[in-house]
Amino acid sequence: MTAKTNKIRAFQGGASIKPGGVYWMRYVIPALAFYVVFMAYPMIDSVRLSLYSGTAGTREFVGLANYVRLFTDEVVSKRFWNAFGNNWVFFAWHMLLQNALGILFAAILTNRTMRGRQFYQTLIFIPCTIAVLVTGYLFKLMMNPVWAGTTLKAAGLGFLVRPWLGDRSTALTCVSLVSVWQWVGIPTMMFVAAFQGIDDDLIEAASIEGATPWQQFTLIRIPLIVPVIGMVAIMTFVSNFNAFDVVFSMETLDGAPDYTTDLIGTLFYRYGIAGQHPVGIPEPGVGAAISTSIFFMLLCGVIPVLRTTQGKE
Amino acid sequence: MSHAVIIDKAVKRYGDFQAVNGISLTIKPGEFFTLLGPSGCGKTTLLRMIAGFNTVDGGEIRFDDSVINNVPAHKRDIGMVFQNYAIFPHLNVTDNVAYGLKARKVPNAEIGPRVMEALKMVQIDHLATRKPNELSGGQQQRVALARAFVIEPSVLLMDEPLSNLDAKLRVQMRTTIKKLQRRLGITTVYVTHDQEEALAISDRIAVMKEGNIMQVGAPEEIYRKPANPFVANFIGVSNFIDCDVNASGGKAEVTIEGKYHISMPANQAYQGAAILSARPEQLFLSDKGIPGVITLALFLGDFVQYEIRLENDQVIELNEYTKDTDSTRAVGENVFVDFNPRQVSLYKKDSQEVLSC
Ligand SMILES: Nc1ncnc2c1ncn2[C@@H]1O[C@H](COP(=O)(O)OP(=O)(O)OP(=O)(O)O)[C@@H](O)[C@H]1O
Ligand SMILES: [Mg+2]
Repeated sequence: MTAKTNKIRAFQGGASIKPGGVYWMRYVIPALAFYVVFMAYPMIDSVRLSLYSGTAGTREFVGLANYVRLFTDEVVSKRFWNAFGNNWVFFAWHMLLQNALGILFAAILTNRTMRGRQFYQTLIFIPCTIAVLVTGYLFKLMMNPVWAGTTLKAAGLGFLVRPWLGDRSTALTCVSLVSVWQWVGIPTMMFVAAFQGIDDDLIEAASIEGATPWQQFTLIRIPLIVPVIGMVAIMTFVSNFNAFDVVFSMETLDGAPDYTTDLIGTLFYRYGIAGQHPVGIPEPGVGAAISTSIFFMLLCGVIPVLRTTQGKE
Repeated sequence: MSHAVIIDKAVKRYGDFQAVNGISLTIKPGEFFTLLGPSGCGKTTLLRMIAGFNTVDGGEIRFDDSVINNVPAHKRDIGMVFQNYAIFPHLNVTDNVAYGLKARKVPNAEIGPRVMEALKMVQIDHLATRKPNELSGGQQQRVALARAFVIEPSVLLMDEPLSNLDAKLRVQMRTTIKKLQRRLGITTVYVTHDQEEALAISDRIAVMKEGNIMQVGAPEEIYRKPANPFVANFIGVSNFIDCDVNASGGKAEVTIEGKYHISMPANQAYQGAAILSARPEQLFLSDKGIPGVITLALFLGDFVQYEIRLENDQVIELNEYTKDTDSTRAVGENVFVDFNPRQVSLYKKDSQEVLSC
């Protein structure tokens, strides 16, 4: 660059475009301050906490001992990997069933010949507005052979009378399905918005080209909402690995029966906050080690999904 | 193979409002047929009925002998160019053009060469791997054209395909479209509200107004012999002058303002009030004719545009070609306006029916 253009630059742009200038900072500071105080600090502090033992007052630096214990101690690591596996199953139900239903409902709701869209949309969304503790408790009653058995038998549905939530082979599935039922409204809403965002002309162009309704769906509508599918996948992933309340309300904190419904959330709560049965002394350091490990695992799952589904532009 | 498109008393209703009022048209195989009319007259509605996006609420639409009222759009074997192009944003140029061939299950080995040939026809073969957001408006338009032509549809529909382009490109693209259509011989229904474009590109034009057809004919016929005052004024500009007519035996005696008499050919016997319609270039200044005074004279290079106030205070427009005179007249000058009675048109005042032939 010649001296002359340099001079012009300096004249036109003023100081703000000087290399190394920090004037842009003042525009970011409010958001940055909020982020640091309410998000970054707690997260980093939780990582710090995982390097200590004891609770407030008796805290002692132990290095990586909590992690060593988490991954090598026979009982703790067994519980951790068990909850980790259960959580994947729980997530798979949501990812495959809830999101597929979301796409299906959204496709039906945005169909041009659909009538009463608002009504059905509201109906599907209502469960999302009810407290999980309430729905969890209600389903717990409905699946209870003692409580619902007589009614079901009277209705000729005797084969449905089983200890669904007490049976090790069905408990996790039941808990997952209740959660799917409750939250299916969220992906539905997001997919409805995404489908509505597609220009009608594109669908018409595809049908003129000779695409059957199925081809229009798979080759035009679905590819056009890939960014939304990616976002929904990430939201599902993150919220499922943070799930806690549905298990708490239906199967108690221990992930009964026999830890088959134990998730990372309940495991963390038992170790970090409540204290393990029967001793009852919480170990915040171990809890923090659990959440830190999961944080990095989530990151490994989220980043590739973000990269492949969100457009580069 | 190209089809004839036969529209038989087609009706489209939106609630109580009838957007297409029982229109009948016969479009011949291989013809370039244009629907022309002011905004809101139902051009798009009729085109979308042919495409299969709008229901046909009355009457029939046929491709040759088969009624297609209830055939879904994807089975009609038509191509369409949309006003905003409607290119698939997630596919590159090649895949956009190939889409219709794939949907029609054309063998893979055939798709590549056909796509390439279509891209060459519209001169964008060098852009084959670009994504739509990396193309200019004109280039996107060419992709849309290639995509419509490549499937060799039996009917091609275009809804104002050039309206988003600049004036120069518009003229260039309409020539391209016309040549391609000729070469492939596809029956084409074209929608526009630009009369010059319609005149330049069409074999025949249907002029529409409020869901009705006002006239169907070749461009020259529509321009020279408008069937009613609406067409006369919509295609080009026309002056309407009130007059009295006494017509019999193929001849009409026309009296303008009780003073000026002229006789012209008539197609029927009639006696009463009428409208004489004359285009600015059909009128000329003379030493006899309708008296008036010049109120405006605009020198526009190859012609002079005059506004002349007649004795009844009506203002008419008259164009005089520079090559025909030596000087421009002054504002305020008293003149006589005359015309060739074979060129102008005559309509009954109340029914607007044409009297001249
Ligand atoms: N979905 C609809 N519901 C109700 N009325 C409609 C609908 N679509 C079009 N119309 C009406 O039908 C009439 C014809 O509309 P159309 O789109 O065919 O006009 P057009 O001739 O294509 O006009 P333009 O040149 O502005 O595109 C208009 O009066 C319009 O308001
Ligand atoms: Mg239109």
